[in-house]
Amino acid sequence: MDTIKFLWVVPLLPLAGAFINLMLAKRLARQTVHFIAVASVAASFFTALYLCVGPLREAYGVWKANGEQGAFGLTEHLWTWIQAGDLKLDMALRLDTLSSVMVLIVTGCSTLIHIYSTGYMADEPRYAAYFGYLNLFTGAMLILVLGANMPVMFIGWEGVGLCSFLLIGFWFENESFADAGRKAFVVNRIGDFAFLLGMFLLWWATHEVDGGKSLDFAVLRSVGESNSGIYEQVFWGRERLAAAAGILLFIGAAGKSAQLPLYVWLPDAMAGPTPVSALIHAATMVTAGVYMIARLSFLFAASTTAMAVVTTVGALTALVAAFMAFAQTDLKKVLAYSTVSQLGFMFVGVGTGNWSAGVFHLMTHAFFKAGLFLGAGSVMHGMNGSGDIRIMGGLKKYMPITRLCFLVYCLAIAGFPLTSGFFSKDEILAGAWAAHLDGWPAFYGKLIWGVMTVTALGTAFYMWRLYFMVFEGPYRGHDQVEHPHESPPAMTVPLVILAVLAAFAGFIGIPHVIHVQGVLGDIGHFLPHWIGRSVKEMPEGHLSDSMTWVLLAIATAMGLLGIGLAYLLYGKGPSPLVDRFTAGPGKSLYEASKNKLWIDELYDSVFVKPFRALARGTFEIVDRFMIDTVLVNGSAFAVATCSRILRWVQNGQIQRYLVGLVLGCAAIFLWTSRSDGPSFSYREVPGGVEFRANPGHGLRAGAQVQWDFDGDGQPDPGETSAVVVKRLGDVASRVTLYVVDPVWGRRDERGQPKNRVTVTQAVRLSDDRASDDAATGGGAR
Amino acid sequence: MTARIAIVFLALGLLGGAHAFAQPAAPTAVRVDQPAPVPVEVRPPARAATPAGKGITKRDQAESPKLQPTTAAGKRTKAGLAFAFWGFAALTVFGSLFVLTRRNLITAVMGMVGTFFALAALYMLLYAHFLAVIQLLVYAGAIMVLFVFVIMILNKPEDEPFAQSGRFGKFLAGLAMVYLVFRLGAVLVDVPSHGSAAQIAAQNAAPALTSDGFAWGSTAAVGWNLFNEYLFPFEAVSILLLIAVVGAIAISRPFKQDEQDTPSEAAAGGH
Amino acid sequence: MPNLQQVFSEVGYAHFLVLGAILFAIGVGGVLLRRNALIIMMSIELMLNAGNLTILTFARMHGDLGGHSFAMIVMAVAAAEIAVGLAIVVAIFRGRRHIDVDRLNILKH
Repeated sequence: MDTIKFLWVVPLLPLAGAFINLMLAKRLARQTVHFIAVASVAASFFTALYLCVGPLREAYGVWKANGEQGAFGLTEHLWTWIQAGDLKLDMALRLDTLSSVMVLIVTGCSTLIHIYSTGYMADEPRYAAYFGYLNLFTGAMLILVLGANMPVMFIGWEGVGLCSFLLIGFWFENESFADAGRKAFVVNRIGDFAFLLGMFLLWWATHEVDGGKSLDFAVLRSVGESNSGIYEQVFWGRERLAAAAGILLFIGAAGKSAQLPLYVWLPDAMAGPTPVSALIHAATMVTAGVYMIARLSFLFAASTTAMAVVTTVGALTALVAAFMAFAQTDLKKVLAYSTVSQLGFMFVGVGTGNWSAGVFHLMTHAFFKAGLFLGAGSVMHGMNGSGDIRIMGGLKKYMPITRLCFLVYCLAIAGFPLTSGFFSKDEILAGAWAAHLDGWPAFYGKLIWGVMTVTALGTAFYMWRLYFMVFEGPYRGHDQVEHPHESPPAMTVPLVILAVLAAFAGFIGIPHVIHVQGVLGDIGHFLPHWIGRSVKEMPEGHLSDSMTWVLLAIATAMGLLGIGLAYLLYGKGPSPLVDRFTAGPGKSLYEASKNKLWIDELYDSVFVKPFRALARGTFEIVDRFMIDTVLVNGSAFAVATCSRILRWVQNGQIQRYLVGLVLGCAAIFLWTSRSDGPSFSYREVPGGVEFRANPGHGLRAGAQVQWDFDGDGQPDPGETSAVVVKRLGDVASRVTLYVVDPVWGRRDERGQPKNRVTVTQAVRLSDDRASDDAATGGGAR
Repeated sequence: MTARIAIVFLALGLLGGAHAFAQPAAPTAVRVDQPAPVPVEVRPPARAATPAGKGITKRDQAESPKLQPTTAAGKRTKAGLAFAFWGFAALTVFGSLFVLTRRNLITAVMGMVGTFFALAALYMLLYAHFLAVIQLLVYAGAIMVLFVFVIMILNKPEDEPFAQSGRFGKFLAGLAMVYLVFRLGAVLVDVPSHGSAAQIAAQNAAPALTSDGFAWGSTAAVGWNLFNEYLFPFEAVSILLLIAVVGAIAISRPFKQDEQDTPSEAAAGGH
Repeated sequence: MPNLQQVFSEVGYAHFLVLGAILFAIGVGGVLLRRNALIIMMSIELMLNAGNLTILTFARMHGDLGGHSFAMIVMAVAAAEIAVGLAIVVAIFRGRRHIDVDRLNILKH
């Protein structure tokens, strides 16, 4: 594995910027704050660019020259994080083809959005905190993307979850915004839990294999390749380990990337500032799930069940989210559902084995969705903060630049030919059509293709509905906002840059059917090859060229159809046709879409309310009753009661004191005047067994003792001392000691002691054979 | 109320249990017809020995015929001793019961005086002649007179004799007291008599003269003992009496506001 | 169980000891049961005398005249105690016009 230096600079710069901004928030001027923030991210971008173009490219060349042996990647080992027994986790970063794409996307978009924010958040009082969080987010995302093993990736995973919470709930004074932040965090957490389980499962599977003692991606992959049974072993039911791990990890991805059923946080996340939505919920955080699956392509490839799950969930999500977007009237909400839907596309892409298509769509989506959000922010800025599209319309005359960029983005998302979205979406669709994995029904890929095509139609439709309602037609908002205005250059320049990218970035992933020669061809077919170096190769699907063209045509047709429908219905503002439809035959559909299929309400009643009831119950019972009443108040009560009882002793009346005295005296007599009964002990000494009599306390030295050793029930004559040694053979199993108390014992008429105290004990000697031998006269002793 | 009853039962149970514990364990195997073990000599105490009182059993009587007075005079002496003891003991107890129960304070004082007289007689029976007389002089003569003075001073009318508060605690204390007396009795019952007949006879005889040749228990004998061996306690007690006198005067001085000289008089009368 | 006739007719040291114990118990009873402070003081005297009786019995038992000295000193101490105690009782009466121990309880916690 080759190494690279200074990769750590890339995540460190934004983190340092975050640290400075957050620590010194109050003391820095606004210019300083945004300078630090933008400069750190921009510097990170340029560093990443340099590293990719320089060392990475060189290493790639070397690798290719060496015949492409092994997996390609450059790692940088920073320090050993945990070393405990079997477990050795390093803090290590990895730059290979996949993470290079991601790192450039992340830093690039982040820089643009930082610049945008300087304009958008200009009036924000907590300016430094905002930029601090934004930097922190970028740093965490970079750790996620650059992590060389799963735990480091998880650090970034959690970090972006945290920053998402901080940024969504940035205006936390508003209760519902704070709730949205919490909702995001909690739902993310559910996914994180599954992620952890998946990670542990992978550890469990690989750590006993020689050389498999870390959760390094490269190591995991090579272990899977060298020991072929590791991921394919049957784990639970009839499913493989890879299926279980894959599904668990996918649930984690579903939480992070807003798939069914854990997508509910993303629409609510629109409560945060718009640049945050752009960065986190369009370009970077939500793509972490897709990235993770691409990273663990070898694992998913080992289980078609897992891939089926990914694909199905992705497709369903895409469809359902698109459905929900039809009836939304808030600008950002439409975009939010659109994001969910497009993420479904990406998961379909990676789920069908088409890793590079998924990542390609990730890239293009980053550009146009971030642009859409920034454009929406620009519109809202011009409309004094309102995002209600019903009062917009005809904004093209007030905000020409925004409108132009928005137009480009909408073309891209609809899949208009030659835009970036066109190429990436088409890749996914073609891949779905051609997908044929083991265990999948033959028609399954085509079914998915059909669902995605319908979704693409829907996408085009609702996006262009949005465009027409916002920018075309008459302006409907004269009552609310008199003069909508264009945004300052800090906001429009990033829009333009993103529009350029959205328009032309697709040209690095042209499908093979479009043959381009020469250098342009290298560039044109660059991305799939490049990404393909980091992921597991899947068996080629059978897709003839003609079929490819057909699919392309269908996809294009869908896009254009969607645009046309939208133009028809919304071209000049919402047409009466729409109103008639939604009031009449389409009423239930409209209601379902507008209410987001009531899924939030469903979760509320199934999960949230019972949990709240449980929490309340626990609070009442455990906290209020058990801890407060029983333990705290109870112990106070116990102390008070004891003291009340003890206070009885001293009440000032002298007779009470004498009572205490007499009672104490009697107590002393009670407790100190018991006498021990006599007893005896024995131990083995050379020569036999030594018996030692203990007459009991209170007796004088003149206590008379007698022993009965032979078990006949009569005291043996001649044995009257307190310490006697007997030979082993002479001792019966039960020995009796007779004690006469000369002082306290009673006497009978002849002056002989009347009562002896008798103690009988069973005597267990270690060596009964020896006693037998002694009895027979021989023996070891 | 039920709590108190429960406590009483508990206390009784504890007493019974503790008493059982306090005894040496009951015999489990009593062998009567065993050859008697060689009795180890118990070293008799340095001075004259154990009491020949309640512990005498029939066996001792059988073995020490000297103990039974044979002469009529001896029998009369023994009977007279018993009479005297029981009579004076009864007087003691009755007198103290007067103290316990009488409402009229003077009656109680009189009872107490009777007790002291009887006690003096009992001291005589114990050959403590000097102390008997001192008892009469000091207790009956001085202390009780002091009590009578104080009663006259206070001149309180009679009131309810028995204290009302804290009765449950006192009841428990009463039980404890009974238990303690019972324990004492048990010890006395359990202690057997020792020694040969001659020793017992010697014990019952009148005490011998002291080493200085005085009768035992006489003034001279007690004086010799007190001033030779216990001189320091004697002197200390003298100081104690001085302290008591000073203390009594200090306590019974009138309060300051009763007899405060006015400052002008003090100044005029002073330096 | 010792012979009752013997117990009654042959008076030994044990009888004196038991008598002393009984007197002591009556003294304790007097302290606990009576309300008047003077009676309580008389009961304390009774207890002291019971102690005297016991120590004189043991002195006779062992032929030791030290017991007599002890008893003398006990008497002296008792006298001193009575003097001071009666002075206190008189002082209390002067202040409160009663010497009912049920009501004399300001020295409580």
